[in-house]
Amino acid sequence: MSSEQELQINPVVQDSVVHNSKVLTNLHSLTASLFGVSAGILGLESYYGFLFYIVFSLITTILFYTFQLAPGSLAEGRSVVDTSRYYKGALDLWTGGITNGLPGFILTWTLFYGLVRA
Amino acid sequence: MAWLSRPLTLVGLVLLAHGCYSAHEHTVLSSTSAQHSTSPSTAALPLDIYIETAVATFLLCVGLVLGSGTLKPIEWHTWAGKIEREADRSLSGSGDADDATGNPFSALEARSGFINIHKLHGDFVKYSQQLGK
Repeated sequence: MSSEQELQINPVVQDSVVHNSKVLTNLHSLTASLFGVSAGILGLESYYGFLFYIVFSLITTILFYTFQLAPGSLAEGRSVVDTSRYYKGALDLWTGGITNGLPGFILTWTLFYGLVRA
Repeated sequence: MAWLSRPLTLVGLVLLAHGCYSAHEHTVLSSTSAQHSTSPSTAALPLDIYIETAVATFLLCVGLVLGSGTLKPIEWHTWAGKIEREADRSLSGSGDADDATGNPFSALEARSGFINIHKLHGDFVKYSQQLGK
C-alpha cells in the first residue's frame, strides 16, 4: 500500500505531531544542559564526556517512554516498545534527542569545567 | 504523578549545586596544599561527590520527565475519540474543562442547511400519535 493511500485511510493530526515533538525537544534541551553541568563538575574529558551524555540521554528517553508513552500506548493494546500512538517514526523518539541537546550540553560542560577546575 | 515533578527537580538542583560547590572547594584545597607539600596533588574527586552528582542528575531527569507535559495521540480516530470522551465528561461536570473542545467538526455537523425538516416533522407526528394513544 502506498503511503499516501495509507494516510488517506488513517489520517494523522498535525497539531498533535507538532505538540509531541515540541514536548520531546524541550525535555531534551533542558536535560542536556543539566548533563553538561554534571559532566563539568565531574571533570570529564574528551570521550568520557560524550559517553556520559549519550548514556544519560538514553536514560532520559527510557524514563520518558516509561512515564509518558507507556500508560497510553499499553492501555490501547500495543506492544511494549511501540511508539506509533504518539510518534510517527520510532527513531525520532529514541535517538532524536541526542542530536537536539548536544550544543547545549557542550556549552554548559565547558562552562562548568572551567568554573570548577580553574 | 505530576505533583512529584517539582519537588524532585528542586531536590536535584540543590544536590547538584552542593556537588558543584564541593568539587570547587576540593580542587582549590588540593591545589593550594600541593604548593606546600612535595607530593603530587591528587586530581581525582572523592567518591561521595561522584555519587552526589550522579544521584542529582538522575533525580533531575526523573523530575523533568514527569513534568514534561502530556502527549496527544497522532492518529485521527484515536485523537477524535479521546476529545469526544473528554467533552462528554466535562459536560457531565466531573472532568476538567480546560482541554475539552469536543468534536472540531460539530459546527459543520449541526449546520441548519442540512436539517431534513420533512423527516423531523414526520418523526414528530409519529411521536405525538404515540403520546395520544
